[in-house]
Amino acid sequence: MLKVDNIVTRYGAIEALKGLSLEAREGQVTCLLGPNGAGKTTTLFTIAGILNSHSGSITLEKDNLTNLSAPGIVRKGVVLVPENRLIFPQMSVEENLVAGAFARPRKDQPAINADLKGIYERFPPLKERSTQSGGTLSGGEQQMLAIGRALMARPKILMMDEPSLGLAPIIVEKIFDIISLLNKEGVSILLVEQNARMALKVAHHIYLLEGGKVTFNGNPQEMQQDEVIQRAYLGAGST
Amino acid sequence: MTDFLQNCIDGVMFGSGYALLALGFTLVFGVMKRLNLSFGPSIMLGAYAGTWVYLNFSQNVLLVVLVTVMITVAVGIYVERLCFWAVRRDATIASMVSSFVIWMQLEEVAMHLLPERTYPFPAFFTSTVIDIGPFFVRSEHISMFLLTLVLLALLHLFLFRTRPGLAVRAVSDNPLASRYMGINSSNVLFLAFAVVSVLGGLAGFLILSADSQVTPFFGLWATFKGLIAMMLGGMGSLPGAILGGLLLGVVEANAFWYGGPVVRDISAYLLLFMMLIVRPGGLVGQRIVAQQQAAYERV
Repeated sequence: MLKVDNIVTRYGAIEALKGLSLEAREGQVTCLLGPNGAGKTTTLFTIAGILNSHSGSITLEKDNLTNLSAPGIVRKGVVLVPENRLIFPQMSVEENLVAGAFARPRKDQPAINADLKGIYERFPPLKERSTQSGGTLSGGEQQMLAIGRALMARPKILMMDEPSLGLAPIIVEKIFDIISLLNKEGVSILLVEQNARMALKVAHHIYLLEGGKVTFNGNPQEMQQDEVIQRAYLGAGST
Repeated sequence: MTDFLQNCIDGVMFGSGYALLALGFTLVFGVMKRLNLSFGPSIMLGAYAGTWVYLNFSQNVLLVVLVTVMITVAVGIYVERLCFWAVRRDATIASMVSSFVIWMQLEEVAMHLLPERTYPFPAFFTSTVIDIGPFFVRSEHISMFLLTLVLLALLHLFLFRTRPGLAVRAVSDNPLASRYMGINSSNVLFLAFAVVSVLGGLAGFLILSADSQVTPFFGLWATFKGLIAMMLGGMGSLPGAILGGLLLGVVEANAFWYGGPVVRDISAYLLLFMMLIVRPGGLVGQRIVAQQQAAYERV
């Protein structure tokens, strides 16, 4: 569905992505794993149009997304749940959600209102706190809000950057429950995670990134059978 | 005591004008995180255009308002294109300096176009004194105050009840996140500048109309008063701008009554200086900083 083909992205003279290719399939959870500085976030930023790629191409179904503007890419249906949630702290929970639908045309308003209701049904804590300002929510609730806000854009594919970052383990479990539930309802997800153990539980397909390149690509079973990876990422012998 | 309360009433009336100027600064600062120093001078140029129409063409007050606002908006857009759109986003100092340069340029233009420096400005309001118990208020100040309240209500409606208003607040609250949501920030900045210029033009008209004259110093005056009021309330905070404006008005009115015009002007700077030492974030700004900080650290 989302195809990234041989992209090169640079920060000044530094090449962060050195010809990276991957594909996120429809209805699946595709997960990018890898150490710090491997280029996971850079990959998401390049897809989202926050960074421009130097060469290579990005396509969603039949649409060419390569170097489209960030708003243009959101309109095509690729939405990012950023690292650290990045909610709007001074705006109310409801305004946060409405802002998520900003890329949709004005005539969509009835559908947007219906979607808002849907988000509240899915995440009851957000409904309880709909008039509270976003900054007063707990970390887990903020992550819910960030996911709900992204869903308000009606994404074809949802990109999530480290949704477990800085959250208590019990909350992380909850967030991953949400991820797999969303996926069961048919949302395609491209997930970046440091928490390999949790990621393996929900992912259908895994890409391992190192130094701006894909070094492994396969399903979780294949990954667990690979001894080198086993030792490096999952702590050999412990499970 | 009566004197003090009387001063407070006068201060609040006049401070409402400061509040409007401060709102202009704070809105632009909120969305751009940059200061627009030529806000005052662009209002001054708008007011000069208004008074020019008044002297040469028509005594119609509504027309003067319209011209004042339109020219302020035109100059505002000129400033936005030159100082903020053309200068790179992360070059904070460069855009502040360039807004200062444009300020000087606008003052030069004003001096050449209207060489006599001081011009009468149409008094929109009739001047009478209204007694309320032991206190009195001048009718033009009451009118200015009431119209300011109307403007504030309209601004509130725009920011909190409309889609573009939501976008302005989103960009101001979290520029990065608003980008991820597909909000086109350069359109939002342009819109914010236009709205702020309308606000500035109307504020300029109200203030000058109560003063019934306009001089080339108005630009400097408006930038100073607006900046001080914004800093008092807290940069980027809307309620802060209003509070800061009123506080500045009240302190100045009292300083004037008890110490004369020199003390009034010094008091404004002294007040700002004390505020920066005691509460560097302003009256309400501190809370916003703390809240934003806490939002990121939550588990």
